Amino acid sequence: MGVTAILFWILSSLALLSAIMIVVSKNPVHSVLWLILVFFAISGHYLLLNAQFLAIVNIIVYAGAIMVLFLYVLMLIDLKKIVDPQRSLWIKLVGVATGCCLLLVLIAALSKADQTTALTQTIGGNIGLVENLGKILFSEYLVPFEISSILFLSAMVGAVVIGKK
Amino acid sequence: MLTDFLLLMKQELLLVAIIFILVFIKLGSKERSNESLLNAINILLLINLIAGIFNSQTGTLFGDMFNTNQLFIFEKNILNFGVLIISLQSYDWLKKHKHLIEFYLLLLSALLGMFLMLSSNNLLMFYLALELSTIPIAALCNFDLEKRKSSEAAFKMIISSAFSSGLLLLGISFFYGTTGTLNFAEIPATLNGNALQIFSFVLLIAGFGFKISAVPFHLWTADVYEGSPISVTSFLSVISKGAVVFVLVSVLYKVFEPLSEYWYTILFLLSLLTMIIGNLFALRQQNMKRFLAFSSIAQVGFILIGISGQSLEGTASVVFFILIYILSNLAAFGVINLVSSKCDKESIGDYKGFYKSNPQLTWVLTIALFSLAGIPPTAGFFGKFFLLMAGAAKNNYLLITVAALNMVIALYYYLRVIKAMFMDANENPIEKIKIPFQPKLAMIICVAGIIILGIYSNCYQYIFSLIK
Repeated sequence: MGVTAILFWILSSLALLSAIMIVVSKNPVHSVLWLILVFFAISGHYLLLNAQFLAIVNIIVYAGAIMVLFLYVLMLIDLKKIVDPQRSLWIKLVGVATGCCLLLVLIAALSKADQTTALTQTIGGNIGLVENLGKILFSEYLVPFEISSILFLSAMVGAVVIGKK
Repeated sequence: MLTDFLLLMKQELLLVAIIFILVFIKLGSKERSNESLLNAINILLLINLIAGIFNSQTGTLFGDMFNTNQLFIFEKNILNFGVLIISLQSYDWLKKHKHLIEFYLLLLSALLGMFLMLSSNNLLMFYLALELSTIPIAALCNFDLEKRKSSEAAFKMIISSAFSSGLLLLGISFFYGTTGTLNFAEIPATLNGNALQIFSFVLLIAGFGFKISAVPFHLWTADVYEGSPISVTSFLSVISKGAVVFVLVSVLYKVFEPLSEYWYTILFLLSLLTMIIGNLFALRQQNMKRFLAFSSIAQVGFILIGISGQSLEGTASVVFFILIYILSNLAAFGVINLVSSKCDKESIGDYKGFYKSNPQLTWVLTIALFSLAGIPPTAGFFGKFFLLMAGAAKNNYLLITVAALNMVIALYYYLRVIKAMFMDANENPIEKIKIPFQPKLAMIICVAGIIILGIYSNCYQYIFSLIK
């Protein structure tokens, strides 16, 4: 087992453990902190895939900006007032059953999947480096890039209107 | 090269131009009255519609990212037409609104998203365009600024659309994992029907199902339709639904053709559920907007039957039906819009005795409801007829029988509204409403369209000739 494989297992188990802790922990602030750990573990995965740009952006945007937003919201609402809604046993059972079904389907589907095309794309690929990503973004994927600018414009206009009332 | 670009993307570029004109008017310091702005915008939209009809060319651009053909151009013209009608109908409401320009900015960005979604030839581009066509609408739902329900509708819209986009994106990423390509032209060759592909395909269909509000993905529909301003509700129920249906047809028929046995089963179940549940819930609605929301869910069930036919007739009947559906639903929403903006009444009970005070509006609403129910002289009958014909090609008579039974149930609840308007007495009926010029024009166009398309059959043949 090479270094990459060992790192992969460490990062994966870390990501899974912290993801479970997000759901399990009672205190929302703890959940947010575990979420940050998930993002870091996933960024580590991106690094293993040689996608440095994605790793950095993931940390800046998700672990940085979005987490700060989460914490702000938690700060603004009064946590003591909000009681944990007591769901009935049936709803919990149905939730567990559907979750298990989804897990089963995913495992079965992934175990039979033909992954050859995907493997050739990622192993040894330099597609995630900043230079290559920039080149492809401004040549092949230029139109989607431009569309996203209109998307942001309209999202901003919408946010301003809702905020201004 | 440049002329190619200008001609092929003509409709999109015109919309972008209008959006930028609006941004500059908003940023400029000159004060303009809402009436003059509305007239100017309506003229711009009319120019946009007319320019879309002439000199249309087909081809691909940007290395297969964007493609266009005669059918797409026709579909975009239908959407343009629907937006113009909605704009005329909302004249009365927008006249007093302080965020008039933002309304059109968001509306036209959503429309641009739909155009790009129709023309997209790549899953990534498709996803971005789908987002562009939903996020502005979520903001639009909040445009009744002082009403709580409107904010609630916007919130529900953004949450449910984010959830459905999440499913769609998960499906797309699995898909990329198994096929190694995002290009629509290359996907069919790589489809082999393995388990992961089918699972991701189910996720994609779920994403589509949310947007066209097929049961069991319909739960957001009634609340969002009820809370939003009526102009936005009519946009949601006809334009955005129509656009996604157009895309669904072309994606299923072209890209996922190798998986057709799977999606036939999915469409079969979805359309059964959608028709039955949509109709049963529509029976007990008291609010006009909720009533039309459930009736529009039931209509989607019929559309899915047409799509399941998997033939040229399938495409033609769906496009034809959407055209008729836009006309009939917009005629109905036009009347409800006027009544709501003049006297703030929305429940079916308020419409009792409507004929005594407003005979003209009653006739418009009656013709629209007849067309939605599918009663022969109106166009709605032929729309439904062609859909069922296309679906019957698969020899699945259970589906057609259930559809026919559902048409009977639907007839009952549409007639209930008509009976209330014509026959029931009411102590304080809706007073006589003076119809302004723009909504009147929109209603005349809609009613004329419903009647002409019911008599004159060349339109269906024209659509059919576009596909071949």
